[in-house]
Amino acid sequence: MLRQSPLSGIRVVDLSRVFAMPYVGAYLADMGAEVIKIDTHHAAFIDTTRTITGPYPDNDPGREFWNRAGTYQTLNRGKRSLTLDLRSDEGMAVLLDLISVSDVVLENFTPRVTRRFGLDYPSLRKARPDLVLVSNTGYGHSGPWSDFGAMASALEPTHGTGAFMGYLELDEDGSLSASATPNKIGNSFTDFLACWSAQMAIMAALYRRALTGQGTWVDLAMYQNGVSFIGEGLLDFAFNGRPARRQGNRHESQSPQGCYPCLGQDRWVVLTVRDDRDWLALCEALGQPDLASDDRFADPITRHRNQTELDRIIGGWTRSRTQAEVVEALRSSGIPVAPVLDGEQLLSDPHLRGRGLFEVVEHPESSGIGRREYLGRGWKLASADVAIRGPAPDLGEANGYVLEEILGLTASQVKSLRRDEVIGEELAGGAAPGVVPLQRQAELGWIADYRENFSP
Amino acid sequence: MRLLEGIRVLELGGHTSAPFCARLLADCGADIIKVEPPGLGDPGRRKGPFAGDDPNPEKSLPFLYLNTNKRGITLDIESPTGRLFLDRLLSETDVLVENFSPAQRDSLSLDFDSLAAVNPGLVSVSITPFGLAGPYRDRPAEDIEAFAWSGHLYHSGDSDREPLHNALDQAWYVAGVNAATAAAAALFQRLFTGRGQPVEVSASECLAAHMVQAVPYFNYMGAIKGRRPIRGSGFEELMPARDGYVVPSVQGSQPWSVVADLIGLEELEDEKFSSGSGRIEHGEELKELVARGLSQWDRKPLFEASGQRRLVFGMAQDSGDLYACPHLEERGYFVQVDHPVAGSAPYAGFGPCLSSDQYEITRPAPLLGQHNQEIYGDSLGLSDLDLVCLRAGGIV
Repeated sequence: MLRQSPLSGIRVVDLSRVFAMPYVGAYLADMGAEVIKIDTHHAAFIDTTRTITGPYPDNDPGREFWNRAGTYQTLNRGKRSLTLDLRSDEGMAVLLDLISVSDVVLENFTPRVTRRFGLDYPSLRKARPDLVLVSNTGYGHSGPWSDFGAMASALEPTHGTGAFMGYLELDEDGSLSASATPNKIGNSFTDFLACWSAQMAIMAALYRRALTGQGTWVDLAMYQNGVSFIGEGLLDFAFNGRPARRQGNRHESQSPQGCYPCLGQDRWVVLTVRDDRDWLALCEALGQPDLASDDRFADPITRHRNQTELDRIIGGWTRSRTQAEVVEALRSSGIPVAPVLDGEQLLSDPHLRGRGLFEVVEHPESSGIGRREYLGRGWKLASADVAIRGPAPDLGEANGYVLEEILGLTASQVKSLRRDEVIGEELAGGAAPGVVPLQRQAELGWIADYRENFSP
Repeated sequence: MRLLEGIRVLELGGHTSAPFCARLLADCGADIIKVEPPGLGDPGRRKGPFAGDDPNPEKSLPFLYLNTNKRGITLDIESPTGRLFLDRLLSETDVLVENFSPAQRDSLSLDFDSLAAVNPGLVSVSITPFGLAGPYRDRPAEDIEAFAWSGHLYHSGDSDREPLHNALDQAWYVAGVNAATAAAAALFQRLFTGRGQPVEVSASECLAAHMVQAVPYFNYMGAIKGRRPIRGSGFEELMPARDGYVVPSVQGSQPWSVVADLIGLEELEDEKFSSGSGRIEHGEELKELVARGLSQWDRKPLFEASGQRRLVFGMAQDSGDLYACPHLEERGYFVQVDHPVAGSAPYAGFGPCLSSDQYEITRPAPLLGQHNQEIYGDSLGLSDLDLVCLRAGGIV
């Protein structure tokens, strides 16, 4: 049977910037939608993943750096690019025309900007009555904080996730207590929670729209959405009056669980003992069967109580072995164990590779990017054609296609849009990104390490 | 009509990922039947903390949160009779979501061919730590192992310490929301093909998909991204304020003078801090000044003043702060839910606000077997006597 693209025939206008919503658009493109990213060639208003976030092939931005950043490429693969200066009446008119023949719009302006540009749901609905619109903001379109801007790394502690995360500290008397400092899960975690929730809402909204012809507005507040992922933790306060508990790498009821050092620089494994069977298997694997009869670790309660001592014993064993040796030794004993993979290891992991997590994109020769692998998705639909369709678009590469073929503008109308700087294919203004050599980046702690003479 | 109104979902397995997936589908209007083994029920019922710290299976707080808006039945799906009833339920089901291990799934004959023989329109969603195929498919994993194998854990915590795991089973939540998306995509596709399909969700890969910087850092230039450096300028990190922690930020397209003016320390107005490179060069001095400035502020007034100046500061909030948050209150976010055993409390609602719905929690989490009568009786047409038989046989 021919595998079909779930979203073939769906057109998406992607006005969004940075991480969360552009990544939504990337997945919609993977599912076969035609996703038109609205860019601008004016440097002051461009998506900063084109110009600031990097990384560049061989740490070299090159001349057309705005088309060459790896994070931009990951988040915008398979899209088309239309440049529009939305400050101009002509640019806004083109945008509304395009929305009138599109199915989904993604935007992440603050509500203040959304209203100013007339991109709010009531306005856009006039252009397209059955539109599915996602408005992603820090705090949503209602409430006293709605006009506040936001970014994921500041939102994460704000929506409470940081409260449930923190190191354990050894007190002077040798007991452990939770650090007073909350921590962050990092990697712009909040952005991805918003990304996943938006995708779910869009797919469900498209389902209803196909049945009823009704559109939907998704007012996605990253703050509120983040809280929905920790609701079980909040109930501990509601029912028991207990604030968030920070437990380092430990598990609430299963002990030991932790992150232990291995041979080499910054190499770690994690493991969890779920029950007595796991415990006996661990004692065996550690080559210390007498631990199994040690009263201090005889049951889950004592293991929980004496985990600091257990951490010392386990860490002493892992410290003199490589990560692979530890994982192999414990894997065969059947307890949950995993290497803590860095980016390099992730890309070479045989399981992830074997499952096809990384998908290859051949970039056009002119880009100088070559052949690179990109992250695919964590889910598979067996009968659907879902895959990365191609590279992220060069700035304005679809200007002609969108303006002439979709919207029916004449060549002279397109020419005047270009003359008036409404559209453009070359970055205007701004400076080329500065490049810090990898060795210096490692010294500054911006990166953990690097490989000399790397080739993909 | 709500987004997924008319869709029936059967949930098997338990704990966190499949229940969260089904809860999200319920929040979109789908009708969920949660199927638990007779006796102990969903293993999630044994997960703490508990209401009043009473380890009653009806008082597990994660369970209560993850299972609102569902109906619950018990059924021993391992018994031949139980399987017959499962198949009868499946014939009227649109989406099956389960999170059994691949081995359990095989022994329960939950492969798609067996299911499609009962209902060719079925969308069957399987959530596992590593997927249903590949060398690691049978490896056991708790949340922390999924985080480690995704690359996420390596990048969490401080660079001078071990990687640090987040609590609250976020790997399983991330897998759950991805599963809900994939299920809805398969339902959308079914509108055009008339056929269901198997959907496979790997929790570690869902988290690996977050690595949109670490992966290109390596395969674009051979660089390994690490955890947050401890030597920073104080910005974009958690810094102490008078009553807790805040995250000062220079992001948000405002000039440095706005940031300096907000923190309110004259020394910060020095020209040398006004550029990004200057702030890196004078990072240590800057961090000290920022700390001094912030120590004059409480979290919330600073946060609100930042928002009013179009800056994007954050603040560390705990559960009590969130429950008392005026913004969430005005958005009507928390929903009071009354559970017959655990009691009444405010629950966090659905993440996205939808124009099509006024979000509601119409049912608390089901008691074990609470809807047996309703579903076996009304939907499958069993009499009270039939149910007595099944109960005596340990089937329900």
